[in-house]
Amino acid sequence: MPRRRTLNPLTELLGAVLLVVLVLVVNRWEFSLAVLLLVVVPAVLVSGQPRRIGVAIVLVAGPLLLSSVLLHGLFFPEGRVVLLDLGPARVTQEGLVFAALMGLRMSVFTGVLLTTAMTLDLPDLIATMTHRGWNRKLVFIIGSALGLLPHVALRARQITRAQQARGLVVGRGPLSRLRALLMVTTPLVIGLLVDASERNHMLEARGFSSSGPRTSYLPDTDTAAQRTGRRVATVAVLLFAAAWLVIGAVA
Amino acid sequence: MSSPLTLPPEPAAQRSRSLLLVLGGALIVATYVFLVTVQPTEIAGGMGSAASLVSLVGFLGGGALLVGGILPMLTTSSLVVIPLGIALNIAIGQIAGSLGMQIYLDAIGTVLVAVLAGPAAGAATGALSNALWGLFNPFALPFAAGAALIGLLAGLAAKHGAFRRVYFAPVAGLVVGAIGGIVAAPVAVFMFGAAGTFGTNAIIAVFRSMGDKLLVAATKQGLLSDSLDKIVVFVVVALIVYALPQRAVRQFPFARTHRVLGERSGGRATTPAGADTAAR
Repeated sequence: MPRRRTLNPLTELLGAVLLVVLVLVVNRWEFSLAVLLLVVVPAVLVSGQPRRIGVAIVLVAGPLLLSSVLLHGLFFPEGRVVLLDLGPARVTQEGLVFAALMGLRMSVFTGVLLTTAMTLDLPDLIATMTHRGWNRKLVFIIGSALGLLPHVALRARQITRAQQARGLVVGRGPLSRLRALLMVTTPLVIGLLVDASERNHMLEARGFSSSGPRTSYLPDTDTAAQRTGRRVATVAVLLFAAAWLVIGAVA
Repeated sequence: MSSPLTLPPEPAAQRSRSLLLVLGGALIVATYVFLVTVQPTEIAGGMGSAASLVSLVGFLGGGALLVGGILPMLTTSSLVVIPLGIALNIAIGQIAGSLGMQIYLDAIGTVLVAVLAGPAAGAATGALSNALWGLFNPFALPFAAGAALIGLLAGLAAKHGAFRRVYFAPVAGLVVGAIGGIVAAPVAVFMFGAAGTFGTNAIIAVFRSMGDKLLVAATKQGLLSDSLDKIVVFVVVALIVYALPQRAVRQFPFARTHRVLGERSGGRATTPAGADTAAR
C-alpha cells in the first residue's frame, strides 16, 4: 500500500508550501485549475490511498465551497450584472466569479496540503529535523503534538462512551451541550496533565534542557542534492513572486 | 527557570530573544495595519493577490518569529503541556467544526496552557497549533497570529486574576474574543473570501445583505462569533482548572507564583519565581 519514497519528507512539505504560495501569487483561476488537475489529482491517485485522501479532501473543502458559493453568489452588493433578483438576495455575475476564484483556490490548498500531510512519514520528518539541527524544543513539540493527537481523540471517544454508560445524554439546548462538553473534557485534561507531569520528570532526568549535541536513532534520509534543491526552489519562488508582483503593479 | 538535575543552565542569549519577539510582534501589527488601511478598496474591484500573500507571509512569519523568541525561555514543565494544548485544540476544534456550530471551540487548549503556564507558553501554543492544524485543515493556517494573540491575552488575564473567580472568566473572554475577532477578520477575507462554517457564513450574509463591504461584514461577524466563542471557552477552562487536583496545578511555577486560581492554586504567594523544584 505505501508508495515508494524518493523524496525526504521535509522536501515534500516545502514543495507543498511553495505551491500554495505560487497559487496565491499568480491568483488566476486558470493557474489554480491547472495545479488542481495536473498536480493534485495525479498526486492523490499515485499516493496509494486515493479513496481515503479523496474523502478527507471532500469533507474539509466541500462544506466551505458550498457555503462560499451561497454567501458570494447570493450576497455581493458590489456586483453590477444582476442575473436573478430575489428581494434582499441578488445573484450577480461578479459574485459568482469571486466565489469560483476563491473556491478553486481553497480546493488547491486543501488538496495539496492534505495529500502531503496524509502521506507524510512522521518519524522520518522528526529525524530529519534533528539531523538538520533544528531547535530541539520545537522538534519535541511538533513530534509530541502530532503523536498525541490520535491518542487524545481515542481517549475522548472512550470517555464519552463511559459517560454515556453512566447516563450522559446530549440534548439540543446550549446548557446541556456545555455540560456534556465539560463531562468529557475535564477527565480528559486531568489524565493528560498527569501524563505530562510524568513526562516532565523523565525528560529532566535525561538531560532534556542541556545544550549538547543530539543523536537520532533513525538514519538521515536527507541528501545534499535535496538540500540544495530546497534552497534553489525557495529562492526561485521568491524571485518569481517578486517579479510577478512588480510586473502586475506596473501593468 | 528549569531544574536540570545534572547540567548547568545554558547561557542566555537574552537580547536576540527579545529582538525576535519585537520583530515578530511588529511584523504582525504592520501586516494588520497594511491590510486594513491599504487594501479594502482592492477587493471590490479585482482580487488582491498581494493582499492574500501579505496576510499569509506577515501573519505566519510573525508567528514564527514569536515562537522562535518564546521557545528558549520556556521551562520543561511548560514545554510538556504545549503539545497537550495543541492536541486538545485540534481534537475539540475539529469536532465543533464538523458539527457546524456557530462557535469554533478551537482555543480550549491554548487558554488552558496560558492559564497554567503563562502568556508566553499560551502564545506559542496558539501559533503552533494553528500551524500544525493547517496540515490537516488549511483554513486554520493563516490564523496562527490571531491564535497566538489569544494565548498571550488569556495568560495576561490569568496573571491579573481573571480565573480567581468563575464569574470573572466570561468578562475576560468577552474582551479577548472581541480583540481576536477584529484581528482574524482580514485574514479570513483576504485568504478565503471569508469562507467559514455554515453558521458563521449565515451571519456574514446578513451583514452583506445590508450592503456592508466584505471586510466590514466579516469583522462584525468576528466580533459576534469570537466574543461568544471565547466566553464559552474561558468558562469551560475555568471549570476544568477548578476541577483539577491541586498537585496537577502546583507543578506550574506560573500558576503558583501568580496565584492564578486564588485559594485553589495551592502555593504561597511568596514562592520565588526561580524555585521550580516539584513542590510535592
